[in-house]
This record gives sequence, C-alpha cells and structure tokens, in this order.
Amino acid sequence: MKRLGLAVFVAVCLLAVPVLAQEGHPLKGSWLGTWSGNKIHGNDVLLVMTWDGKNISGTINPGTDNIAIKNATLNPEGWLVHIEADAKDKSGQPVTYTIDGKIENLPLANRVVTGTWKDSRGDTGAFKIGRQ
Amino acid sequence: MNFLRVLRSVFVAAFVIATTSLVFAHHEPLAKFDDKKPLRIRGVVSLVDWRNPHAHVFVNVKTGETVSNWAVELESPIDLEASGWSKTTIQPGDQVAVTGIAARDGSRQMLGKTIVTAAGKSIFTVNVVPPPMPLQPHPTPKWTDGQPRLGSVPGGVQGYWAFPSATALVENGVTAPMDEWGLLKNIGDAAKVAPMQPWALQLYKERQERFLRDDPMYLNCKPPGGPRQFELAYGVQFVEDRARQRVFVLIGSGNNNYRIIYTDGRSHQGQVGGDDENPLFYGRSVGKWEGETLVLDTRGFNEDFWFTNGGLPHTEQLKLTEKISRPNMDTLKYDLTVDDPGAYTRPWSASWTLRWVAGKEMPRHLCQENRS
Repeated sequence: MKRLGLAVFVAVCLLAVPVLAQEGHPLKGSWLGTWSGNKIHGNDVLLVMTWDGKNISGTINPGTDNIAIKNATLNPEGWLVHIEADAKDKSGQPVTYTIDGKIENLPLANRVVTGTWKDSRGDTGAFKIGRQ
Repeated sequence: MNFLRVLRSVFVAAFVIATTSLVFAHHEPLAKFDDKKPLRIRGVVSLVDWRNPHAHVFVNVKTGETVSNWAVELESPIDLEASGWSKTTIQPGDQVAVTGIAARDGSRQMLGKTIVTAAGKSIFTVNVVPPPMPLQPHPTPKWTDGQPRLGSVPGGVQGYWAFPSATALVENGVTAPMDEWGLLKNIGDAAKVAPMQPWALQLYKERQERFLRDDPMYLNCKPPGGPRQFELAYGVQFVEDRARQRVFVLIGSGNNNYRIIYTDGRSHQGQVGGDDENPLFYGRSVGKWEGETLVLDTRGFNEDFWFTNGGLPHTEQLKLTEKISRPNMDTLKYDLTVDDPGAYTRPWSASWTLRWVAGKEMPRHLCQENRS
C-alpha cells in the first residue's frame, strides 16, 4: 500500500513539472510523440531540432536510431513543417522518411506538430509530436 | 432653471471626463478586456480586494429579482495609493456606478474606467506623471574620479529611473504607433518595427493579434531580460558596487530579481552564474566605461522570455550592445544595438531615455503566483 502511495506521489510530481516555455524559433527543442504504424522504427518518435538562423537541423531518435534530419523547413504562412531524413532498416537497407505537418497551439508551451509521415517504401501513417 | 440644471450636468460630466483617465494595468488590458464592449453597471459594493497585482471592487448588481456579482479590475494598489486612494475609500454597502469595458471571455469582469459614488464623487482615478524637469538641468553626479554615478548619491537624494520615453522596441527612425504595452495601433506596421526574418515576423504578428496575452512575463512571472528591464512602468535602479567592480540592475516590478554587469574586465567565458550550456534570462553582461558612457556587451540569453514589450522574438544568438549615459542629473540615455541573426536579417538599433524620480523609493510590484 505504501509503495502504491509512493508511486502515486511520484506520478503526481512528474505530471506537475511544467513544460518549459520556448519563445524563440518555434521548432527548436525536443519533441516527443508518435509516427503511427512505423514498422521499422516503432511507434514512438523523438525529434531534437535546432535553428542556426538559416537552417533547421536535428536528429530523429537520438541515442537509438540517430537518424539525421537531411532537410527541414518551416513555412510561417500556416506554420507548415516539412522534414526529410535518410535512415536504414534493421537489415541495413536505406529508407527515406518524409514528414509533413503543421504546428498547432503555436503560442503555447505545449505546442504540437500534427500531420503524416511516409517512407520510400510506401508506408504511411499519422504523425504527432509535442514539444517537451 | 432647467437651463442651469442642464449646464451643471454638462459641467459635471465634462469635469469627470477631463479628470478621469483610463487606468493602466500591468498586463496589456486588451488581452483580457474588449474595448469594443463598453459596459456600465450600477450596484452595491460587496468587497474591496486591495492587493497586488490589481485591486478589485466587487459590486452586486440587481436586475429585477436577480442579483449578480461583478468584479471590477483596477490599477495596482501602488498606483492607486500614489494617487491618493486607499482600500477604505469605499466600503461594502456603498452605492457605485461603474463604466468600463467587459471581459473578452464573457465572465462578469470588467476593467473599471470610471467609478462614481452615490455622492457623485469620481474615485480610483490614477494620475501618474513624470516629475517636472528643472528649468536648468542639474549636473550629472559623479564619483571622486569623475566617473558618472548611475544611481543615488550616498547621503544625497535617493531615487530611481522610470518613465521611459519608449516602452517597446522599435528601430530608430521608424514610426509605428503602439500603446504602452507595445500593442500596435495598426498591425500593418508590424514589418516596419524591426528587420525580422519571416518566421519572427509571423510570430510577432500572431502575438500582436492575440493582444499580447501569451506574454510569459505576466503569465509565468518570467524576468524582463534584455532591454525590457528599461521599459517597465515601475522603473529600474542601479547599485554600483565599485569595490567588487560590478553594477546591479534592480527592477521595480516583475519577479524582482536582478541583473549583474561585470566591470572588472572579465571576458564572457567562465562567469559565475552561466556559460554556454546555461543561457540566462539576463544573459551575461560585461561592461566598461568609455568616457562618460558605460558600454555593455551582453550575450548568453535563453529563449524563455520576451525581451521587449510587444513580443518581438529573439533567439539564443542574441547579442546586445548597450550604451548607458547620464547627460544630466535627471536623464538616463539608453542606446541599444540588437544583433540576433537567428531572428533578424541585420543588426538594428533603438534608443530612449528615462527620468530620475528623486526622493522616492523604487516601488516594489511583485509578480506573484504567476499573476501580474
């Protein structure tokens, strides 16, 4: 019972941690979410992106898959996001991902990007990441 | 007789209008209230809530058999008390008539513009004006070595800097009318304010179109880093610690923390309180005197705040060159160059002055519990 209480307490503490605001470039930071139905790299996805003043760069699933973002753009008209990345499947064969989405809740700390992902083999699915 | 009565009414109305200004809140009032929704209520005061950041008067309004309670937001107790009002100016049970503007969310809240008692007295008006300039400028106070003093003189008249001539960043030479919180009168002027990159311009426009309601300085008590500390209504104060070769910049509002300017010749590397991995709200400032001007080089900002009223974006690449001088006793001159290739297409500059408020302690308006 004590253990359950402790677990609830820890869970509440974790939930209470506020999302850090990021008032600079809207894509900069860590994003956590899902690319549903991705058979190669799994359902969950983590993106870390940065902005150098001219280009968006970053990594998908750093520390595990380490997929470098090859090309990423943000169109402020509608806050449309486009990301391309070259990866490899479990057998080492190349696969290219293309993600198209849109930033929602832009002014809020917990903004999200929603859209679709597809790969060079024709698989596709829903894409949703939220800023951490 | 009727003519005299009408004349008296016109005179009273004109007097009330002439002596009553729209109270100014700390946050952009239009973020919460809609100036397209004028409102007039009449009722009985049920409570006076006299506390930071805004005083409120609660009024019971009777409509037929129904009584509803309205919250009337006023200015901070600091400004109300400076204008001669107190929490006992009116009491529960008093009759009042209130005009103002209604809350955007349709709740029973309003921003009070005028409050008139049953006796016809207009109350809670705020009249905050800068002190008059002397006919002949008083000389700049100086240390014994001739360096200008930015703060008070020990044993002399205390004071602080306030009443900035500009309360939001606009590039020098640009005309873009805005209110004192940096809200543009015409959103079409957005691109003129500063040479923003496309993403920064769009973000700035959207912040403006939302009436600055997402400002983290008000929502989350985030510090007013960068030039914003010199744009605030409750002013700033310099504490010059010559023995330790640093200057502290204190602010009269926000979360009341402070900025340190190091004048000991150190570089940007290895400073206490921050490095490249730990960007700061106030960045890292190093300064040196060039003649009678303190020249500051500040970098290492984080992106968790707005660096100016009005919501111009910045990135961690922001570098500021600030030049601070005191051409006479009562004037502080602030010149700024913004260099942020992450958000702007080129470096750009802005300048303004602040006024010395002599003989007064800097007000302490605290942003508390994420309310301001």
